[in-house]
Amino acid sequence: MSSTTDISRRGFLKIAGLGGTALYLGVFPSATGAEATIVNAGQAAYQSIELNAWVYIDTAGKVTFVDHRAEMGQGSYHSVSQILAEELEVDLNDVNIIFGQGDKKYGSQVTGGSSTIRMNYKNFLKLTATAREMLIAAAAAQWGVAAAECYAEHGHVIHKKSGKKAHYGELVVAASKLTPPKDVKLKKRSEYRLIGKPLKRLDTPLKTNGTAIFGLDKRVPGMVFAAVERNPRLRGKVKSFDASAALKVPGVQKVFKIKMLVFKTYREGVAVVANSTYAAFQGKKALKVEWDDSGFEHINTADIYARQLENVKTKEGLFLKKQGDPDAALAKSAQKLDLIYQTPYQSHSPIEPLNCVAHYQGDKVEVWGPIQAPDWIQDALSEEMGLKRENVIVNMTFLGGGFGRKAFMDYPHEAAVISKEINAPVQVVWTREDEMTQGPYRPGITYRCEASINNGDIDALKFRMSGQNNDHWRDPKNKQQANRSTSEGFLQPYYDSIKNISFAEVIFETPIPSMWWRSVYASTNGFAYESFLDEVAHAAGKDPMDLRRQYLTDERSQKLLDKMEEISGWKNRKKNEGFGVAITECFASTVGQIVKVSRKAGGKVKIDKVWAVMDCGWYVNPDIVQAQVEGAIVMGLGAATMHEITFTDGLVDQKNYHSYQMPRIYDIPPIEVHIMENAEDAGGVGEPGLPSFAPALTNAIFDLTGTRIRKLPFKMDEV
Amino acid sequence: MKNTHTKITSGVIVMALLLVSLVAFSFKKDGANVSDYMAVPDKKKDSIASVKAFQKVYSVLMSPRCMNCHPKGDVPLQGEDSHLHQMMPQRGKDGKGLYAMKCTNCHQPENTPGLHMPPGHKDWHLPPADMKMVFEGKTAHELAKQLVDPKQNGGKDLKKLVEHADDGLVKTGWNPGEGLKKPPLTHAEFKKSWIEWIEKGAYAPAP
Amino acid sequence: MIKLTINGKEHTLDADPEMPLLWAIRDLAGLTGTKFGCGVAQCGACMVHLDGDAVRSCVTKIKRAVGKQVITIEGLSDNNNHPVQQAWAEIDVPQCGYCHSGQIMAAAVLLRDNPNPTDADIDIAMAGNICRCGTYPRIRKAIHTAAELQQKSLK
Repeated sequence: MSSTTDISRRGFLKIAGLGGTALYLGVFPSATGAEATIVNAGQAAYQSIELNAWVYIDTAGKVTFVDHRAEMGQGSYHSVSQILAEELEVDLNDVNIIFGQGDKKYGSQVTGGSSTIRMNYKNFLKLTATAREMLIAAAAAQWGVAAAECYAEHGHVIHKKSGKKAHYGELVVAASKLTPPKDVKLKKRSEYRLIGKPLKRLDTPLKTNGTAIFGLDKRVPGMVFAAVERNPRLRGKVKSFDASAALKVPGVQKVFKIKMLVFKTYREGVAVVANSTYAAFQGKKALKVEWDDSGFEHINTADIYARQLENVKTKEGLFLKKQGDPDAALAKSAQKLDLIYQTPYQSHSPIEPLNCVAHYQGDKVEVWGPIQAPDWIQDALSEEMGLKRENVIVNMTFLGGGFGRKAFMDYPHEAAVISKEINAPVQVVWTREDEMTQGPYRPGITYRCEASINNGDIDALKFRMSGQNNDHWRDPKNKQQANRSTSEGFLQPYYDSIKNISFAEVIFETPIPSMWWRSVYASTNGFAYESFLDEVAHAAGKDPMDLRRQYLTDERSQKLLDKMEEISGWKNRKKNEGFGVAITECFASTVGQIVKVSRKAGGKVKIDKVWAVMDCGWYVNPDIVQAQVEGAIVMGLGAATMHEITFTDGLVDQKNYHSYQMPRIYDIPPIEVHIMENAEDAGGVGEPGLPSFAPALTNAIFDLTGTRIRKLPFKMDEV
Repeated sequence: MKNTHTKITSGVIVMALLLVSLVAFSFKKDGANVSDYMAVPDKKKDSIASVKAFQKVYSVLMSPRCMNCHPKGDVPLQGEDSHLHQMMPQRGKDGKGLYAMKCTNCHQPENTPGLHMPPGHKDWHLPPADMKMVFEGKTAHELAKQLVDPKQNGGKDLKKLVEHADDGLVKTGWNPGEGLKKPPLTHAEFKKSWIEWIEKGAYAPAP
Repeated sequence: MIKLTINGKEHTLDADPEMPLLWAIRDLAGLTGTKFGCGVAQCGACMVHLDGDAVRSCVTKIKRAVGKQVITIEGLSDNNNHPVQQAWAEIDVPQCGYCHSGQIMAAAVLLRDNPNPTDADIDIAMAGNICRCGTYPRIRKAIHTAAELQQKSLK
C-alpha cells in the first residue's frame, strides 16, 4: 500500500490537475442514514475522477478512497476502505486513503454515536457496486460485447470469453457518460472477499514508525506556536493580566486576551504566541492573570451529590418513558427495592492533548487538527467569524484519541481567533493540565432505582436520575425536556416483558461544562441499571443470568445469553465463586460481559478474567471489533476503579495523570471477546463495549464477598 | 513504657565495639582529613547519649525523603504518605531500575521544576538487590543494628558510615522536588546527631 | 548553538539548553514521531533512546543529550522492520496510535536487555507507558511475537 497520510482533499485535487470529463455519482445521505439518491451529475471536474464522494479514480487507474469521518483509533480509516473496496472490486493494497474535508456532500461527519459504519455502509455498498457496473458497461461498449459477459476484479474489467482486460483508469471517462443503473445487485455476506475478514489495518504501518500525522504533527509554512492560559472556571472572565515577564521569555512574540466559543457561551483566556511550543509554554507560565470569577457558583463535589440525592429523593422529574403504572405497582408491592447509585465526573484525557492549526486569511479560515466533527466546526466558525460556510476549510488529521472531547468546537475556534489576531498560521497546543482541568466532562449522576417484586417476578421498574444534561449546552430549549439519554444502556426487549417501567430525569445543573464521553450516558446508566437488576435477582431469589433469560425473551438476546454462558462456564461455577454478569445496549449494539474475580493472597480482590460478547449485527472487520471491545473494557476499568474528576470551589482537583491515574499494563486482566454472527443490521462498535464492564465487575465482587458497590469509582485494594 | 535509652542489647555493644576499633585502626592508617569524624576514645562512649542521638537520626531516616528509596519491597515509595511508586518501577540488580523503567529515565541530574515532577540527582537509584538496606518497617533498634553491620550497610566501616552523612544522594533529601517536605531536621542537625550516635558508641535503642 | 545527534545525524540547534529534548526534536529538528502526552514523565509517549536508555524526552533537557546518541521512533529501523515494529503490525496493536512511538521504544529496550521476556517482565518494562485506547492486551501479545521474531532473525 502506498498511503498518503497528510494530503488534504484540496491538495489531492491540485495534484490531479484540471481537465477532462468526469463521472460524478452524487450521493447525499441524510444524517439518519436514509438510502442515498444516485445521480450522474456529469460535471466537468478533474482528471482524477470523483466516482462518488468517497472514491476517485484517475486515468492511470490509481484509486483513492476518502474517509470522511475522524480516525481516532476506532478504525474508520481502515473500515471505510474495507467496505468501499468490496463491491468496487479493487485491492486494498492498491488504494490511497485520504481524509475528507468538511463538506456537506458527505452528510454528517460527526464521528460520534458509533455511527460511521452503521449509518453509511449501505450507501457505500450501493455506490461502489453502481460505479463498478458503470465501469463494466463502459468496457462492454468499447469491446462490443454484452455487459453480462464481463466482470470486475482487482481494479480491472475482464471479458470472460476473450480474456480482454482494461484497468479502471482506461474506462472512467467513458463510464462518466452513462446513466447510473438502478437496483444494482449486491453481494451476499457469504460472497464477500474482504468484509468480515480480519484484514490488517491499513493505518498500522504509519503508526509504528512515526509517519502518521496527528494534529500535533501538522506543520504549515510560516506557522508559529501558541499556548493559552484560560480561566479555570468556564464562566469566569479575565479581569487583567501582566505580560511583562512572559514577553521576556526568549521566543515569545505576542501576548493578548482572547475568548473562545464553548457551545453557546465563551471561555476567556490569555494567549501567548511564540516561535516554539516550549517558548509558548514558558511564556504561559510567566503570565500573571487576575480572573473575575463573580456571578456564578463555585461548586464542590460533595454539594453536587447531595443535591442530586435530594432531587431523586424528593422529585419525580421529567418522564422520558413510561409504560404501565410503576407507581401503582410499587404502592401495593409485596417486595420493594429502593436503591441509590452514584457515578463520577470523568475526563476524556485522550493521549494526544487538544491542539489545532489555523490560518485566517480575511475572507476564509483553514484549520487542521484532530477533529471529530468537521461539519460542526464549519457551522460554528462561519457563524462566529462571519464567514461563508464553504470558506471555513476543515482538515482532519489522525486523532490521538477523541472519546467525544474532540467533537467540540472550542479549540479550533480558539486557534482561528489567534491566527486572526496575529495574521499568520498558528498551532495552539493545550497542556495536559489544560485538558484535564478545563473539561468538558462526562457528568456524574445520582440514580434512584425502584422495583416491585411479586412472587419472584418483576412487577415494576422505576428509574430516576439526576445529573447534568449535555444537551443543555447546545440549546436552552432542551431544558423543558427530559434528558433523551435517560434510558440509554437499558435493553429494548425488557419493555416487552416487564409491564410497568418508567425513566425520568430530575434536572440538575452546574456551571461545569459537560459533554458526551465514550458511550455517553450508557457509560454511567449501565452501572446503575445493571447493578440494580443484579440486586433484583438476588432479592427475587434468582440466578442473575436466569433473570435476564426470563425477561430478554427475544431470540437474539437468548442467543447472546447462550454464548455468554458457553464461553464463561457460567453454569458450572461454584456458589459465590466470584462471577458477575451485566448486559447493556447502546448505539444499536448489545454487549454482555462476565467478570470473574477472586481473592489474592492477603485477601485483596483481583480480576481473573473478562469475557465479552458483542452483538453488533453486520460488521466489517472482526479484529477491529475485538480491539474496540478490549479497549472499551480497559477504559471502563479505569473509570470504575481508578480515576474521577472532583471539584473544590469550582476548580478541578485533578491536574495530570499522577492524580487521574490511568490503567497501566499490569492492571489489565485477560480479556476474551466474542462476536455474534447473525444477519442483523449493523450496530455501533467503538462505544458499546464500555458500559457493561463496571456492573459486571461489581456484581462479581458482590458474588465473591457479599459487598455491594453502589458508588463509582472504588478501589480494588479497598474492597 | 519501656526505657529505650538504657536497655541495650549485648550483641550490638560487641558489634559496635568491634567496629569502633576497626575505625580507629583505619584512621591510623590513612589519617587524612578526618577531623569531622575523629573516632572517640572508648572512655567517651555514652550509650544514653548515643541512643538519644540515634532517635533523631531515626526520625530523619524514616521520613519519606529517606525511607522512600529504602523500601522493604523492590518498588520504591513515593510522596508524603510513602505509597508505592506509581508505575511500579523495580529495583533491578544494581538498584537503578529495569529495561525502559530505569530511575534516570525520569529522574534527571537535577530536580525538574514543577509540582509532581520527578526530583533529581545524577546518581538517583535504590540500594542494589544484594544489599537492600531496608528502612521501611524497621524499628529504631533494627535500623541501628543494620546501619552498623557492614554486611547490611554496603560494606561501610564506621568511618565510611560517618562520611555517608555527606553523600550526594543522602543530601538530596534536603533538596526535595517542588511541594515535597524536607526531613524533620536540617542536614547539619542530622549530621551532628549521626556523628554523635556513632562517636558515642553507635548504640542501638532497645528493641 | 547546541549540537545534538539524532538518528545518527548532527543537528545544530539555536535552543535554550534547558529546553526539553521533546520540543527540540519536534519543533526544531522537525521529527514529529515523538509525541507530547503529559509533560510530567507520566505517560511515556515522548520516549526516545538516549545512549540506549528509554528516557522521557519531556523532562530530559537537551543539555543532557549533548555528546550522546538520540534515537527516535523514526530512527529505530531503516524500513519499519525492527522486530517490535514488525510484531506491532502482525498483531495490529495500535488503535489511535499516538502512544505507540513511546510504547515501541520501550519494548525495544526490553527486548535488547531481555530477549525472552515473561509476562512479568513485560509488566515491569511497559509500566511507564499509558495507552488511553487500552491496547495493553495486544502490546503484551506483540512483545512475545517480537521476541520470537528477534530470535528467528538471530538464527
